[in-house]
Amino acid sequence: MSDPTPLYEARNVYKNYGSVAAVKDVSLTIHAGEIVGLVGDNGAGKSSLVKVLSGVYQPDAGQLIVDGVERHWKSPHDAMLAGVETLYQDSGLALDLTIGANVFLGREKMKPGILGRLGFLAQKEMDAEAAEDLERTGIAVHASKRTVGQLSGGQRQAVAIGRAVAWAQKVIILDEPTNHLGARQAGEVLAVMRAARERGLGVIFISHTLPHILEICDRIVVLRLGSVVRDAPTSTFTAESLLGTITGLHAE
Amino acid sequence: MSRAVSEVVSPSSNEGEPASWARRLVGNQQFMLFVVFVAIFAFFTFNDSVFASVSEIGNNITDFSTLVLLAVGETFVIATGGIDLSVGGTSGFAGVVGAIAMEHLAPHGEWVVLGVGTLVCLGVGIGIGLINAVLMHYARLVPFVATLVTMGAAEGMSLVLTGGAPVGSNFGAITLTEPKISVFSYPDIIIILITVVAGLYLHYSKFGRYTFAIGSNSFAVRAVGVNVRRHLTWVYVLSGALAGLTGMFIYMRLGSGAPSAGVGTELVAIAAVVIGGARLTGGSAQLSGTVLGAMILTIVSSGLIIMNVSPNFNQVAVAILIALAATFQALRKGSRADV
Amino acid sequence: MKRDQVRSSSGRRTRFAGAKAVLSGALAVSSLALISVGSATAASASAKKITVAFVVGAEADPFFISMNAGAQAEATKLGVNLIWQGNPSQYSPSTQIPIVQQVISQLQSSKPSALVLGPTDPKALQPYVNQAIKAGIPTFNVDSSVANLKKVVSFVTGNNAQGGAAAADALATAMGYKAGKKYNVAVGMTSPTATTNVLRFQGFKAEVAKKYPGIKIVAEAYSQSSPTTANSNIQGWLTKYSQGSSTALNGIFAIDGTNAEGAASALQAAGLACSATSCGSGKVALVGYDAYNTNVALLQQGIFAALIAQDPAKEGMLSVLNAYNFLTHHKVKGIKHLITLPNVTLTPKSPAALLTKYTYQTA
Ligand SMILES: Nc1ncnc2c1ncn2[C@@H]1O[C@H](COP(=O)(O)OP(=O)(O)O)[C@@H](O)[C@H]1O
Ligand SMILES: [Mg+2]
Repeated sequence: MSDPTPLYEARNVYKNYGSVAAVKDVSLTIHAGEIVGLVGDNGAGKSSLVKVLSGVYQPDAGQLIVDGVERHWKSPHDAMLAGVETLYQDSGLALDLTIGANVFLGREKMKPGILGRLGFLAQKEMDAEAAEDLERTGIAVHASKRTVGQLSGGQRQAVAIGRAVAWAQKVIILDEPTNHLGARQAGEVLAVMRAARERGLGVIFISHTLPHILEICDRIVVLRLGSVVRDAPTSTFTAESLLGTITGLHAE
Repeated sequence: MSRAVSEVVSPSSNEGEPASWARRLVGNQQFMLFVVFVAIFAFFTFNDSVFASVSEIGNNITDFSTLVLLAVGETFVIATGGIDLSVGGTSGFAGVVGAIAMEHLAPHGEWVVLGVGTLVCLGVGIGIGLINAVLMHYARLVPFVATLVTMGAAEGMSLVLTGGAPVGSNFGAITLTEPKISVFSYPDIIIILITVVAGLYLHYSKFGRYTFAIGSNSFAVRAVGVNVRRHLTWVYVLSGALAGLTGMFIYMRLGSGAPSAGVGTELVAIAAVVIGGARLTGGSAQLSGTVLGAMILTIVSSGLIIMNVSPNFNQVAVAILIALAATFQALRKGSRADV
Repeated sequence: MKRDQVRSSSGRRTRFAGAKAVLSGALAVSSLALISVGSATAASASAKKITVAFVVGAEADPFFISMNAGAQAEATKLGVNLIWQGNPSQYSPSTQIPIVQQVISQLQSSKPSALVLGPTDPKALQPYVNQAIKAGIPTFNVDSSVANLKKVVSFVTGNNAQGGAAAADALATAMGYKAGKKYNVAVGMTSPTATTNVLRFQGFKAEVAKKYPGIKIVAEAYSQSSPTTANSNIQGWLTKYSQGSSTALNGIFAIDGTNAEGAASALQAAGLACSATSCGSGKVALVGYDAYNTNVALLQQGIFAALIAQDPAKEGMLSVLNAYNFLTHHKVKGIKHLITLPNVTLTPKSPAALLTKYTYQTA
C-alpha cells in the first residue's frame, strides 16, 4: 500500500489459553483516519485479539508496533498511555459514578495547590470538561453529575465511547459497541465512530451486525478459528460474500 | 432494566421546582435518618428527661466515640464491595497489646506512655489490615473469609496474651475520657476530626473516588490503570488503623486492656453503615449516613438502659432499625426519584 | 469473660434426680472393661500407673490454670499420671471435640485410665462422653457438665446460687444496710443464656428477698461479654440514678469479670468508686465475682467491697481424687455424684494469705 507507517500494527501474533489456540499468526494494520471492521463467528478469536491489542493479555508470540516502534504492554494502562483506547464488551463503566467521574476515571484532575497534593479532586472542572468532551465527539448527555447507572443502555454506551474517543490519541478499539442497542442509538454510535475517523484516529470496529460493518468500515478483516482468512477493502465484499467468508461455507 | 431507568431520568432533570425539592428531601436518606434520630431522641427524653441531661449526652458521646471509627473504616471497606469482620477483634487485640506496652513504659512520663501506646495500637491495627490484604490478594480468600480468619486470630491472641482477664490496669487513663470542652473529651474531639477528614476523603478525593469505583466495577478501574490491589490494601489498612485507635480509646475508657472488649462490635459497626444507606455490594455509601447510623444505634442502646427496658430488646430494636433502613433504601431505589 | 458465658450455658445442674439409681447401671458398663484387668487389687493398680486426663475449655484462663495446679498437686501425691489438655484460648466445642477424641484413644491404650472433662457445651460433648464410657473409660465432669449426667461418675462444680447469696450479704454489708432504710441496687450480667449468671442472680435475689427487704433491684442489663458495653450500661445507670437524689444508686452487683471491669471503670470515671480508706455516702458499693488478679488488685484498692471467688484448685484436686478412688476400688462407694463447692467471699480486710490462696493463678 502507498500509506506511510501504520498507527498500529500486529505482526504474526499468537495467543493460547492452555491448549486452546485462540489467535494464530494474525497480522493486522490500522492507519490514521481509517475504520477497520473485525468480524468472525463466535469463538473466532476477536475478543482475544482485542485483549492482546489493548494490553489485557501479552501475546505468546508476535510483535505489536505503534508508529513504527515495537511495544510490550504490561497492562491496559500502558496501551492507554501510548494512545490506544479500548471499549470492552459491557464492562468499561462504573455505574455508581457520575458521567464526569467515569470520563475521567484513572486520569482525575486534582485541585490546584495544597488541596490537590492532599488528594482532593477538581470535580467542577472535570464535570465541565467531560460535558465538553462528550459534546465534541457528538454525544449529548447533559448533567454530567448523573450517575451512569441512571442512564439508558444507549446513553451508557455513548458515554463509554465518548470517553474512549475523547482520550484516544491514536487508535480506538470498540468490541461490539452496538450490541443491545436500538436502531437509532446504534446510528448514534456509528456517527461517533465517523467523527473519530474525521479526527484522524484509527478505529477497530468489532460487530456481528454485518450491515453496520459494510456501512461504515473502510476495510474488513475476517477471522476464522483464530486466523485471518481475508483482509480487504469493504468495496470488494457483498453482504453474501462477507457472510460466506465468515462461515467458510462458500468458496471465495 | 435500563429502559425503565432512562424514562424516569429525563423528567427529573428539571430540578428547580419546589415540589421536586420537597420530594428530594423525603427521598434523601441522610435527611430521613436525621428525622429518625431526632424522633428517637425526643421519645427517650419525653420518657425520662435525664436523657437530655448534660451527663447523659456525655455518656452518649463516649459510646459514639467507641463505635464511630469502626463504622468509618467499615464504610470505606463496604464501598469497595468488601466487608471487614476483623475490626472488633482488632480493637480488642490492639487494646491488649497497647496496654501491655504501656505497662512496661509506666516509669516514663504520662505523655510518652500514651503516645507510644497510641502508636502501638495503630501499628497492631495496620498490621492486621495488611494481613487481611495478604490473605485476599495472595491466599485468594474473599474478604468475608479473610477477615473472619483474622477476627478469630485476633480474639484468640487477646485471650492467649491475657488469659481472659484485663491487663495493664491504669485507672489514671480513665480521666482522659472525661468531658473537657463542653461535653467532649479530648479523644472525642480527635475522633470527630478523624471522622470529618475521612468523610472529605471518601467523597472528594481521588482515594475515595477509586474506593467507590472499585465497588462499582473493579474491572473498569483496573482497565484504566489503577492498581486495584494496592488500593484495596490501603482500604483494609485504614480500617485496621481506625480499629487500632478504637482499641486505644477503649483502653482509656476501661483503664485497662480488655481481651473481649471488641467482641461483636464489628456487627454494630456494619449495622451503622447499613442503616446509613450504604449498599453491601459496594459502589454506594455516605459517610454522613454512617455517622447518623452510629448516632442512632448509640442513643437506642443508652435510651433503653435509661428506660430500664428488658435488655434483650436492644437487639430487637437494632434489627428493626436495619430492616427499616434496608426497606427504605429498596423503595428509594425502585423509584429513583431522588437525584 | 468468654469462658464464663459459654461455660455457664452448660450448667443444667439441677437435673440430678435419680442419678444415683441409674449410676449402678452405668457402672455395669464401665466395669466390664475394668474386670478384664483381672482380679485387680490395690497392688496391681499401683503396679500399673493410673492415668487421668483432664480436658478443659481454655487452658490459658487463670481459672483453669488454678484448676491445673490443684489437679497436679493431687496427682503427684497419689502417683497418678496426669494429662492436661485444652485449647489455649478458645472456649468452644468446635476446638474441644477434636481434643477429646484424641484423648480418648490415648486413654484406651493406657488403661487403667479416667477422663475428667469440663465440657464447653452440654449437648455437643455428650456423644464423646458416651463414647469414652463405652470404651471403658470412666468419665467425670468438672466445672460444667454434659446434658445427661447419668453415666458420669461424678461432677464437681462451684455453687453459683450460694455465691449469689453471698454476694447479696456482702453488698448489704458494704452499703451499711440498716432495716427500715431503702437501698437501690443494679445488677450487671452477661447474657440471658449464661446459666452461671442466672444461677448467681437467682441466689442473689432469693437472699435479698429473705434478708434485705429494704434493697430494691432497680436495674439489670446484659453486657454480651463486652466490658465496653458493661461500662456503657453502668454509665447510664449512674446518670439516671444520680447521686444525691432520692433514687440514688447505692450498690452494684457485677456478676462476672466483664461486668466487674465495666463497673469499676465507670465508677472511677464518675468519681463514685470507693477507696481502700473510705466508702462513705454518695459512693457506690461494688461487689464482683471471680478472683482474677486484676479483680483482686481492685479489691485491695477498695473499689470492690467484696469479691466472690470460686475454688478451681479444689475442683481439680477433688476430680483427681475421685478418679483415683474409682479406678483403685472399682466402685463409686464414697464418691458423691454431685459435689458443689461453696464460693468464698473475699474483702479488702481478708488476710493476705487467704487472698493469695484464692486468687486465680497465671502461667
Ligand atoms: N479466558 C479464556 N480461557 C480459555 N479459553 C478462552 C478464554 N477466552 C476465550 N477462550 C476461547 O478462545 C477462543 C476464542 O474466543 P474469543 O476470543 O472470545 O472469540 P470471539 O470474541 O470471536 O467470540 C474460543 O474457543 C474461546 O472458547
Ligand atoms: Mg467476543
